[in-house]
Amino acid sequence: MRGSKVIVGVFSYMDDLVRAIRKAKKEGLDYRVFSPMAHPVIEENTMPQASSVRLFTLFGGILGCIGGFALAIWCSLDWPLRVSAKAIVSVPAFVVIGYECTILISALATFLGILHFCRLPDILRKVGYDPRFTDDKFGIAVGAEDGKEEAISKILSECGADEVEVREGL
Amino acid sequence: MSETHGDIGLKEGVTYSRVNDLVLNMLKPPTFGWYCLFFLAISAVCWGAASFTRQVLDGMQRAGINQPIAWGVYITNFVFWVGIAHSGTLISAILFLFRAKFRMPIYRLAEAMTVFAVLTAGLFPLIHVGRPWFAYWLLPYPNERALWPNFRSPLLWDVFAVSTYLTVSATFFYVGLIPDIAAARDKAKTFFRKLLYSITSLGWTGNHSQWKHYMSAYLFFAGLATPLVVSVHSVVSWDFAMGNVPGWHATIFPPYFVAGAIFSGVAMVLTLIIPLRKVFGLEELITPFHFEGMVKLILLTSGIVTYSYITEFYIAWFSNNPFERYQFWFRPFGDFKLAFWGMVFCNCVAPLTLWIKKLRRNIGYLFAISLVINVGMWLERFNIIFTSLSREFVPAAWGNYNFSWVETGITVGAFGWFSMFMLLFIKFFPAVAISEIKEIMPPPVREEGALEAH
Repeated sequence: MRGSKVIVGVFSYMDDLVRAIRKAKKEGLDYRVFSPMAHPVIEENTMPQASSVRLFTLFGGILGCIGGFALAIWCSLDWPLRVSAKAIVSVPAFVVIGYECTILISALATFLGILHFCRLPDILRKVGYDPRFTDDKFGIAVGAEDGKEEAISKILSECGADEVEVREGL
Repeated sequence: MSETHGDIGLKEGVTYSRVNDLVLNMLKPPTFGWYCLFFLAISAVCWGAASFTRQVLDGMQRAGINQPIAWGVYITNFVFWVGIAHSGTLISAILFLFRAKFRMPIYRLAEAMTVFAVLTAGLFPLIHVGRPWFAYWLLPYPNERALWPNFRSPLLWDVFAVSTYLTVSATFFYVGLIPDIAAARDKAKTFFRKLLYSITSLGWTGNHSQWKHYMSAYLFFAGLATPLVVSVHSVVSWDFAMGNVPGWHATIFPPYFVAGAIFSGVAMVLTLIIPLRKVFGLEELITPFHFEGMVKLILLTSGIVTYSYITEFYIAWFSNNPFERYQFWFRPFGDFKLAFWGMVFCNCVAPLTLWIKKLRRNIGYLFAISLVINVGMWLERFNIIFTSLSREFVPAAWGNYNFSWVETGITVGAFGWFSMFMLLFIKFFPAVAISEIKEIMPPPVREEGALEAH
């Protein structure tokens, strides 16, 4: 978030929060919304565009599929086990390996995607956070330059914030 | 179901805050009862470890397996525990994709059960091979002789399938836990707990960007875990079906095994969740609505399993193959007939009583039935493995089998091992999903209908 100060508004009601988000957007403020759970209304009003995590999943899957088949094929050619007249590279049998590796690498890549896009781990730095946001309160933290905190606090209060706090530094 | 909250099955009056209190209350210091159970679990683990040590010192003759029954209780236990592991991913992933609301309060425990059951299942092939210190031979690792494993063997497929399943289900489980560990972190009182939850929640704050990417990723995880869960037990079934053994060599095995796995897994979820609900007072979160959902799954999968049993007999008769025909005569009337009829009673007959509303609404009865199904599913694996191996093609090579005390000890130890992890889990991490229950609850609003306008 931009600015030297953070103004945190704590809300009990989601409709108030949504009003505050819309107002902050309209004013062109730099904000961050906190909620105890995911909710489609918050999502629509904050980040309606699709998440790029899917690219991690896709590339992980492609890599896993190629890797799984390559492993099975290369190992079979490197140490050929000749049984009757069966093919050394037995694709139907290797489908299982390719399939499992696709899922394995894709899932691990998705996990990396979560870490990357959610900016995790970030244990110490919780700008604008309040422990009540994992309980029953919603929050919005707005970054502001010196002198603008009063106007922003007023906007949040007007939208129905239970309390508004101005914090130093980002 | 008038006492519940709309169509989501929670009791009336439950709020976000109440969900936090109820779930995080489970993390309070353990009671005397918990210590007693933990002591029992650890004792069972010690018995299993002692038995395993005896087997390692003396060799495989300590186990009852022999020629022709080279796969015995260890493989039965392996298939049993992999089966138990399945419903966790079914409840968490497949029901997530179907948006089944009854999954919310039960899926975390089901996922924990999955991870710990796979950890238990994974022990058995290692115990069974006799020299577990060479278990790494199963993996394609570079070695001096450039010797690689046989990728055409179903046993190697199993190595890949089960290890993938363990990794993916553990990751999925952990990802689901992150927001709830953050909730536990924010309420933690002691330094140790605060530190533990701060590290394991990775600093989660629940901001809109995190939720957006998280939910998107969660959907992909569910999408990946769904084909995985179907593939893993199919691969386990191919351990048998790829072998030319009467009673094993059947194309029906994959769906039959997957249905059986879900059947036993849901029963195990009931076995775990019913006492937990009582002890921790979770009646407001886990209501008859959720039990109804699980009972429907049990009835469906019990029907599939019963149909598969009948099909096996029909195909044996229809094939006109004398070895198949004899095998399916031997199962109900041969040396292991008690196991067969026990299986039929536990898996086909007893679950039918759940069609009666009064019985399926009786929590005590459900608990009893869940135990009966667990026994039945163990017997099913026993039937498949033992009877087929004891009566293969050449009568001169027929044989029988008796448990040894080492196998009994290791089997009991596995239950202790699984229980030990479950007991530790419910005391250290939220065993019921906090944020996902809140997702299905109507959010608090100042003006009714205000959110619809958005």
